[in-house]
Amino acid sequence: MMSTLATILPAMLGDATGPTFWMPEAASSVAGEIDWILEFINVISYIFFFIIVFALVYLAVKYRRDPERKQISGDGPTHNMTLELTWTIIPTLIVLVIFWVGMVGYIDLRESPDDSYEVGVFAQKWQWTFSHPEYGVTEGGELTVPLGRPVRVIMTSADVLHAFFVPAFRVKQDIVPGRYSTLWFEATKPGSYQLYCAEYCGKDHSKMLATVRVLPEDEFQDAMGKLAREYEDLPDADLPRYALVRLYNRCSSCHSLDGSTGTAPSFKGLWDRTTGGSTVFTDGSSLKDHMGSGGEYEVPENYIRESILNPGKYVVENFTNVMPNNFASQLKPRQIEALVLMMKHMDELVDEDGNIIEPPETEEPKESAMTETTGDGG
Amino acid sequence: MTTLDTGQMQKPDLAPRDNYLTHTRGAWSWLFTLDHKRIGIMYLVCVLSAFFVAGIFALLVRTQLLTPEGTIMGQDDYNQAFTLHGAIMVFLVIIPSIPAALGNFVLPIMLGAKDVAFPRLNLFSFWLWVSGALFFVLALVSGGLDTGWTFYTPYSTDPNSAMGGMIPAVTGAFVLGFSSIFTGMNFIVTIHRLRPPGMTWFRMPLFLWGIYATAILQVMATPVLGITLALLAVERAFGIGIFNPELGGDPVLYQHFFWFYSHPAVYIMILPGMAIISDLIAVHSHRHIFGYKFIAYSSIAIALFSFLVWGHHMFTSGQSPLVNVIFSAITFSVAIPSAIKVFNWLATMYKGSISWNTPMLYAMGFIFIFTIGGLTGLHLGTLATDIHLHDTYFVVAHFHYVMMGSALIAMIGGLHHWWPKITGKMYNENWGRFAFALVFIGFNVTFFTQFMLGSQGMPRRYATYPADAGFQIYHVISSIGSYILAVGFFVTAGYLLQSMFGGRRAPANPWGGRSLEWQCSSPPPHDNFSETPTVGDCYDFSVLEWNEDEQGYVWRSDIPHPGEEEPGGH
Repeated sequence: MMSTLATILPAMLGDATGPTFWMPEAASSVAGEIDWILEFINVISYIFFFIIVFALVYLAVKYRRDPERKQISGDGPTHNMTLELTWTIIPTLIVLVIFWVGMVGYIDLRESPDDSYEVGVFAQKWQWTFSHPEYGVTEGGELTVPLGRPVRVIMTSADVLHAFFVPAFRVKQDIVPGRYSTLWFEATKPGSYQLYCAEYCGKDHSKMLATVRVLPEDEFQDAMGKLAREYEDLPDADLPRYALVRLYNRCSSCHSLDGSTGTAPSFKGLWDRTTGGSTVFTDGSSLKDHMGSGGEYEVPENYIRESILNPGKYVVENFTNVMPNNFASQLKPRQIEALVLMMKHMDELVDEDGNIIEPPETEEPKESAMTETTGDGG
Repeated sequence: MTTLDTGQMQKPDLAPRDNYLTHTRGAWSWLFTLDHKRIGIMYLVCVLSAFFVAGIFALLVRTQLLTPEGTIMGQDDYNQAFTLHGAIMVFLVIIPSIPAALGNFVLPIMLGAKDVAFPRLNLFSFWLWVSGALFFVLALVSGGLDTGWTFYTPYSTDPNSAMGGMIPAVTGAFVLGFSSIFTGMNFIVTIHRLRPPGMTWFRMPLFLWGIYATAILQVMATPVLGITLALLAVERAFGIGIFNPELGGDPVLYQHFFWFYSHPAVYIMILPGMAIISDLIAVHSHRHIFGYKFIAYSSIAIALFSFLVWGHHMFTSGQSPLVNVIFSAITFSVAIPSAIKVFNWLATMYKGSISWNTPMLYAMGFIFIFTIGGLTGLHLGTLATDIHLHDTYFVVAHFHYVMMGSALIAMIGGLHHWWPKITGKMYNENWGRFAFALVFIGFNVTFFTQFMLGSQGMPRRYATYPADAGFQIYHVISSIGSYILAVGFFVTAGYLLQSMFGGRRAPANPWGGRSLEWQCSSPPPHDNFSETPTVGDCYDFSVLEWNEDEQGYVWRSDIPHPGEEEPGGH
């Protein structure tokens, strides 16, 4: 009965989905129910708050002691069993109702419909990778989901605890390393919604943001198609820019483009440092020692490749290795090629301050669509 | 039967006489004193110093959040600032504030005893507190601490993640835990064994009931924290897998262990606060407490329930939905005894004769703030809404309303209440009311805005935030509130310190309290009472009358003391 009430009442009150005083914009199928429960508890809280504060102020004023008449002492009743039982039993009944309403809403939040669309979420310090197993594609910095279809999210973490939190959908779930966790939502409004990491995960916790892009079904299919094809169909000349706008967001929280030192060496001038062999490692050797004829990195591109796939092998002096070592399973060969090319052509892609230089006007439509989908970094 | 030393009450002796402050002299006589009053003072000074330090970190955090991209700090510095603010406030300030500082001073006197049951253990507890504090300093100089006060794994045990001060910090928390356990043990034994003639369990001042319930929690819950932190240190130092999944451990297990202590710890913080408020309301309303037994039992009920609700900190952690439902149900049971207390306090004011002095203002402020803190607990105990609100500023606002707005406000109210007894001096009442207004307004401006901030979606522990999410205006208002709050505390510190040198001499009983601490001089003599007093109903204030010469309350000459036969007989 409570669940019917919980679904009927919001409909009666009008299905407002804009932000309210308490809640942000509502954009999922469960949001209406959650907001109704919150308002229900709010009303109870307001009533109790006003009763208590009114009594407090009224009694304090009415029975205020005349500072000149210090002899008087008050003489009210010292106990009253009926009164005590009343204010024990009434709150007990009220909290039982609140508990029940909250439990019913929670069960709706946790039980995903059988025909859900499945998305994989891979969290690591301090970036998001989203995969669409149905289409065999991954995205970073932005999760594209279909409108009006339940989406089931299967999540895991590479390092520490993270949490997947989209306020507009009213959903949140911790992501625990070494196990999978899950949540589901059904987006009811097209648009872009902020996704936060809600479990503290270290230095750039507050930069671990992404967007959820909700698209109508046909646009969603197009977007998935584009994602599946984008790097296979691209001419080689476009690969560096592809890597910068679609792949770099998984590097950006540690590797800067403007030369500033973060958790890891900047990508600015990386190619020059590589070909010049000037990089010094924590073991005291320099890159030059490993280059040259017969050396491990006779071809300098191999150093870039190795650093992506096996980041712990040589660690640059003054840094510690905190880079995930699972990029081999995340990146296709052509994407790795794109990243190597990005390093080589970085000067043409970004300016002195690390800002991305806009491509010339004569780009193909596909290219501009790609730039548009740039996430705001992992 | 022994009687109270009534001579000093009926014939006020204003000449300087030996008291615990003047009994012996020199730093040594303080640092290694066995006198519970001096140990209480040392706790007070240390706790308030730690409060100052952690308050500075709070102001840094609030200032940082004035602008979306961060105002004064980088990410790492911010993470350290909020971690140290939380860890110091919890472990070094709020947990020891009322029991160890005020409790140590007041509890034995309320019992008419000369000291606690184990004075040496008491001194040892204090020095453990100091050692724990030193470990936190060591944590700062050995690489810093950025785990949050919760030390969540695997972040805290992964050397690539958490900063280097991790092991000193958990060692500090471990040592502080023992300080807390020993204090709790001491108080339990003291209350059981040293109650004076006439003081049955249901004649104890409610402050003692609260401290007793707290002591049970300290003794039973804190060892779990000690074990957990030891396991954490072992995992971090030796790579033995307990909580880290890479080593075969389980990070959610850590959360269970941690909250098994830390949820009761919330009540270690709030129960003594409620205990103070019960006495403040009765004394300053000059009226018998309403529903004594319900208030006393509700303290014990809160203490027992608090062991069964830890899972409500973990509704989004991945524990099973069934477990979540059970924990949610039990969580609501804690709401009832809290509500009972609030209604009983209000009923105590009915037909009272309410002095609007500083301690009573703090007590009324407590009721206002605790009501908000308690009611917003409903939103968080409710599963459906907690999923959205968990780990947002809504939670931050809620626990500040309970831990800071309630527990610390009660502590400050209690400090004003017992200040004349502790120092023998009266503070300036007008400055007290003015500072209360600043603290009350500053607190609500700071933290009420954070409820909206959180329900709108702002996550906790963020050094920066998206500029277009509409969060900034709330952050700015909140930060302004925190500055008002800080000014309020500085004003408080100012007039309290001033009173020690320029304050009016305090009478034995300035407020009209009837518990035993008001029946010895201000400040109390070294031995508290020359003879063990006999007590009656400590909330029956009709036996007292105002004495103009003394500027305080004295026993009515026509009413016999408990244990005496004839009026005024001696």
